Amino acid sequence: MQIINRMVIPFLLLAVWWAGAEIGWFNSYLLPHPAKVFDTAVSLTQKGTLFEHLAASLYRVLGGFSITFAVAFPLAVFLALHKKSYYFVEPVLEFIRHVPPIALIPILILWFGIGETSKLAVIFLAAFFPVFLNTSSAIISCDVKLLEVGKVFSFSGREQFFKIMLPQALPQIMVGMQLALGYSWRSLIGAELIAASSGIGYMIIEAEQLSRPDIILVGIFTIGLLGYFIDYLFLKATRFILHWTGRKEKLWQE
Amino acid sequence: MAGVRLQDLDKVYSLNGREIKALNGINLEIAAQSFVTIVGQSGCGKTTLLRILSGLEEKTAGAMIFSDPPGAQVRTGIVFQEPRLMPWLTVQQNMVFSLRGCTKGIIAKQANKYLNLLGLKEFQDAYPGQISGGMAQRAALGRTLCFEPRLILMDEPLSALDAFTRRKLQQEILDIYLLEKQTIVFVTHDVDEAVYLGQKVVVMDKGKVVDEISVNLPYPRDPYSRDYARLKERILDAILQKEAGTRQNGSQGGKK
Ligand SMILES: Nc1ncnc2c1ncn2[C@@H]1O[C@H](COP(=O)(O)OP(=O)(O)OP(=O)(O)O)[C@@H](O)[C@H]1O
Ligand SMILES: [Mg+2]
Repeated sequence: MQIINRMVIPFLLLAVWWAGAEIGWFNSYLLPHPAKVFDTAVSLTQKGTLFEHLAASLYRVLGGFSITFAVAFPLAVFLALHKKSYYFVEPVLEFIRHVPPIALIPILILWFGIGETSKLAVIFLAAFFPVFLNTSSAIISCDVKLLEVGKVFSFSGREQFFKIMLPQALPQIMVGMQLALGYSWRSLIGAELIAASSGIGYMIIEAEQLSRPDIILVGIFTIGLLGYFIDYLFLKATRFILHWTGRKEKLWQE
Repeated sequence: MAGVRLQDLDKVYSLNGREIKALNGINLEIAAQSFVTIVGQSGCGKTTLLRILSGLEEKTAGAMIFSDPPGAQVRTGIVFQEPRLMPWLTVQQNMVFSLRGCTKGIIAKQANKYLNLLGLKEFQDAYPGQISGGMAQRAALGRTLCFEPRLILMDEPLSALDAFTRRKLQQEILDIYLLEKQTIVFVTHDVDEAVYLGQKVVVMDKGKVVDEISVNLPYPRDPYSRDYARLKERILDAILQKEAGTRQNGSQGGKK
């Protein structure tokens, strides 16, 4: 039922678009008929073109995201546990953080060419900070009161970390990962628009050069729907992993 | 066994460059396997004393001597004012939080023993967010008991609970104490609770021990008996008298 309620507005928008196209409100070059966009989507799917570009983009996002996480997470943990070293790295990190990854694409292309490396570098720059900042702040702000519980049980540093700090930080770390995935996806499309020979962003920019607005729209819908879908999957996974955060209802009162 | 003697114990905190003397020459003997309660007004240093006994805080000066083994810190557990349960673990998992390197069988056995003793069996799979304050404090107590400490420190563990639940838990704590005979140091600001539980009531004021009163009544105690009422009166006097006279030094920093 809820799903249906939530689909009302999208369907209304589609209906307006459809009706407008039928009546001839819109210039069909600027906004093609939805049926045409749909046909294009079907034929691109049948030819396998859409899937090819999608796979190229997804592959980059997942690869880039994994690499980023593998670097940002341990670094964040290390610096959070050694605040003195954080003090030295902070200026560099702050500088890079304020430069949008898109602004670095030209120099990345110069350095790494238009191949996969420059795409991974863009994703790295986009996804690094959400993971890094959320992880480090979650570890730094770990509840001292809970750590004292471990201390009384004479936990080692390792046990303190794995049994108290990490589980407590997990919700915020997951938030960082979710943000990072979204950022990766967006910045990658940007990079593909500027320089690439495959991927959804490339498909869009190529369609523009071929004057095919229908393909452009198929690209846009694919990006939006896929982003939505990835986010949804991630939320589901988060709820599963952090199942205890949902357990708030009282079972019993004294 | 797990007795401890405190000699001229001082604790000075520095707060924004200001020195706060939280403990000022504490002399106190805690006999092995005895139940000692500590009362005193807010800010008199009760929590500080427990934190030093537990090893969470360093003393500034003086001596803390454990009787057996001589000199070494004895296996100590503490129950805080708040339950401090790990919200990502179930009640049962919280209870066995301290047990490491034991077999599953031993862990389950230990958990079951205290789940049953504390009436938590039904709720073993609940998360801390799902249980009431009394249940949570029971689980925290169970977590400390599973650790099998020989010295148990309790810092107003029942002060957040309603009177009925509180009395029930006082009885449970007494039952467990009579069964296992650990040494217990129990801090409270409730005179009735101090007399109900303690074999010795220590009255603190401004970082000092100002009185020690033995309670030679058999357990379980009758709160309506005359001896009980008289003891309460006496302790209340000890707390209040000191208040009138010695009110000039700066040791009373804290909670206003
Ligand atoms: N970490 C700290 N830093 C600075 N001052 C502290 C610290 N902990 C306690 N104090 C001060 O030491 C004194 C004793 O505090 P303590 O918490 O031991 O009192 P208490 O008897 O437990 O009081 P309450 O009944 O309110 O819990 C207070 O003046 C308090 O402000
Ligand atoms: Mg206190």
